[in-house]
Amino acid sequence: MELQTTQNQTSTRIRSVNVREYIRNAGTLIGLIVIFIFFSTQSPVFLTEANLINILQQSAINACIALGMTLVIISGGIDLSVGPTAATAAVFTATLMFTGTPVLPAVAVGFLIGVACGLINGLLIAKAKLQPFIVTLGTLSLYRSIALIYTGGNPILSVPPDFRAFFNGRMGNLPVPVIIVGVVAVIAWILLRRTPLGEYMLAVGGNEEAARISGVPVALTKISAYVISGFLASLAALILVGRLGAAEPILGNLWELDAIAAAAIGGASLMGGKGSIIGTLLGAIILGAMRNGLTLMNVQAFYQLLATGLIIILAMLVDRLTRGSN
Amino acid sequence: MLKNLRLLALLVIVVIGMSVPVMAQEAELPPLDSDTEPDRTEWWQLEEQFGPVPTFEEKVRVGAVAKTLINEYWRLLGEGYQNAADNFGVDVILQAAQNEADQLGQLAIAEAMLTLNFNILLVSPQSDANLIPAVDRAQELGIPVVNVNDAVISTARHYVGNVQRDNGVRAARWFIENFPDGGKVAVIEGQAGVYAAGQRTEGYTTTITTESDKFEVVASVPGNWDRQLAFDTAATILQQHPDLIGFYCNNDTMALGVVEAVKAANLLEQVAVIGTDGISDAYASILAGELRGTIDSFPVLTGEVALEVALRLLGGQALPRVVSTPQALITLDNYDRYYGEGADTRAALIEDAKMAMK
Repeated sequence: MELQTTQNQTSTRIRSVNVREYIRNAGTLIGLIVIFIFFSTQSPVFLTEANLINILQQSAINACIALGMTLVIISGGIDLSVGPTAATAAVFTATLMFTGTPVLPAVAVGFLIGVACGLINGLLIAKAKLQPFIVTLGTLSLYRSIALIYTGGNPILSVPPDFRAFFNGRMGNLPVPVIIVGVVAVIAWILLRRTPLGEYMLAVGGNEEAARISGVPVALTKISAYVISGFLASLAALILVGRLGAAEPILGNLWELDAIAAAAIGGASLMGGKGSIIGTLLGAIILGAMRNGLTLMNVQAFYQLLATGLIIILAMLVDRLTRGSN
Repeated sequence: MLKNLRLLALLVIVVIGMSVPVMAQEAELPPLDSDTEPDRTEWWQLEEQFGPVPTFEEKVRVGAVAKTLINEYWRLLGEGYQNAADNFGVDVILQAAQNEADQLGQLAIAEAMLTLNFNILLVSPQSDANLIPAVDRAQELGIPVVNVNDAVISTARHYVGNVQRDNGVRAARWFIENFPDGGKVAVIEGQAGVYAAGQRTEGYTTTITTESDKFEVVASVPGNWDRQLAFDTAATILQQHPDLIGFYCNNDTMALGVVEAVKAANLLEQVAVIGTDGISDAYASILAGELRGTIDSFPVLTGEVALEVALRLLGGQALPRVVSTPQALITLDNYDRYYGEGADTRAALIEDAKMAMK
C-alpha cells in the first residue's frame, strides 16, 4: 500500500518533470536556431546541404558518447572513462580485423570490451560504494594504459575496406553514423521515458535514499547506466575507426568533457535526477555547429574555446532562471 | 593541316590512355614513410630541378590546417606560410585545433575548410590517422593536399618536412664529438606512438651506440612533449645516475624542463642537454649558457618551402613525393652563423647541404 502511494507520487513527479523538460528543450532548440541564423548570415556556405550534413557527421560521435553520459548523469553519476574505453575497444577490434578475424566477431569483441569497462565502473561504484568521479578518473588512466600497452603506442592502420565502407556509407543523403546515432537516441529516449529502468534512473539520481526505500534496485540501476555508457563508447569508437581507417591508442582524448558539455547544454544536472535525451542531442549539435561555423568564419581555435565556454555558462544561467529560485 | 590535327588528336588519345593507368597507380601508392621514401628531393634543389615557381592569373587561395597554435613551432610555421604567400601574391588561411590532443576537433576544422573551395590544402595532422577522412575527401574533390611535418598520413601523395631520424643522429654525433671519453646519457622521448618521436629516439640511440663504444643509454623514457613531466622524469634519472653526462630531448619544451631539473640538482657543468625544434625560449636558454644546443628544424623556412611546393604542384610540376626541409644543431658556437646580426639563414643552410653532399 505504502509502495503504491510512493509510486503514484513518483509518476506525478515525473509528469511534472516532463513538462519542465519540454520547456527546457524548447529553450535549447531556440539557442540552436539563433546560432544557425547567426552563422548563415556570416557564411554563405553554412546552410548548404553538404555543410549541414558535415555538422551532423561531426556531432555524431560526441552525441553517441553524450547519450550514455546523460543516462549516467541522470542516475547521479559521472563517467570520465569514456575516451579510454573507446580507445581500448578500438585497438582490440582493429587488431582482430587486421589479423584476419571476420568483421562481425571482431565488432562483437569491441562491444564486449565497452560493456566490460562499464561493468567494472558500475560494480566499483554501486557495490564497492566508491565515488563515481574518483572511480572513473582511475579507470580513465587504467583503460588508456591497456590500449597503450596492448599496441605499444602504435596506431593500427589497416582496417578492412568493407568495414570502412559501411561506416562511410550513406543511406539516402544521411551518413550511416548519423543514422546509427539517431536510432541510439530513439532507443535511449524510450528507455528513459517508457521503461521502469528509466524511471529508476530518474529516481536514483533524484533521491537515492527515497528510491531505495520505495524498492528501486539502486545498485542494478547504476550498473546499467555505466554499462550503457561503456557500450556507447565502444560504438562511437567503431564509428571513428570506420571513418579514419585506423585505430589509435590515443583516440578519444578529452571526449568526456565534450560529452558532459553537450549533456549540460541540453539540461542535464550533475546533481542527478535531471536530463534530457533530446536536449543532449541538441547540445551536441550546438557544439558541432559552433566549431563548424567559427571555422568557416576563420575564427581561431582560441576564440572557439571562448565561445564554447560562454555557451555552456549561458545555458546554465537560462536553466537557473527558467526553474525559478528554488 | 588536317594531318596535323589528326596527329594531335591521336596524341591526345594516347596521352589520356596513358594517364588512366598512371592515375590507377597513384591510388595505390605504398604507405608513406617520410624518412625513407626514395622519391624525394631537397628543398634547395627545387629551383634548379623544376625552374621558377609558377604564376597564376587568378588569385590562388591556400588553406592550411596546423596542429595547434599553443606551440610556438606551429605559429612560426604559419609565419612561414604567410611570408611565402605575401611573396608570391596568394592568399593563405590558417586554422588550428585548440591543443595538441584535439584530434576530432582538427578533423572538423579540416572538413569545414573543404567546403570553402581552396585551391590546395596544407595539413599538419595531430596523429597519423586523424585527418584521413578529410584528405580522402579532398582527393575526391580534386584538391591537392600537402602533408607538412610531422605526423605522416600513410596515403599522402605529397610530404614536406625534415628527416626525423637525422635529428637524433645529429644529436648523437654532437655528443660523440664533444665527450671523447663517453659516459652515461638519457633520452626524454615525445608522445609514445608518434612517428617523429620514435624516429628521433631510434636515430640517437643507434648512432651513439654504433659509432662509438663509450656511451651507455641508461634511460629512454617518454616525457609526452610536456615540460613538467620531463622535469620530474629527469630529476628521477639524475638521482639514479648522478654521473650522467647528457640528455637528448625530442623537443625543446621538454629540454627546458630537463634544464631546470639539471639546475636544481646543481649539475649544469656536468650534464649537457640537447633539445629539438629551435623555439625562442630554447635560444634564450642557449644564450644564457644553460641549454647546450637544439636541433633547429627552421619552422619559418619549412612553412615557406611548403607553400612554395603547394604552388609548384598547383602549376602542374611533377615534384617527388617528399621534399625534405633542413635542420641543424645550433649551439652557442655556431649561433651567429644562422641567427646573428646580418646572418642569411637560407644561404648558410644551402652551404651546409652542399658540404654534406661532398
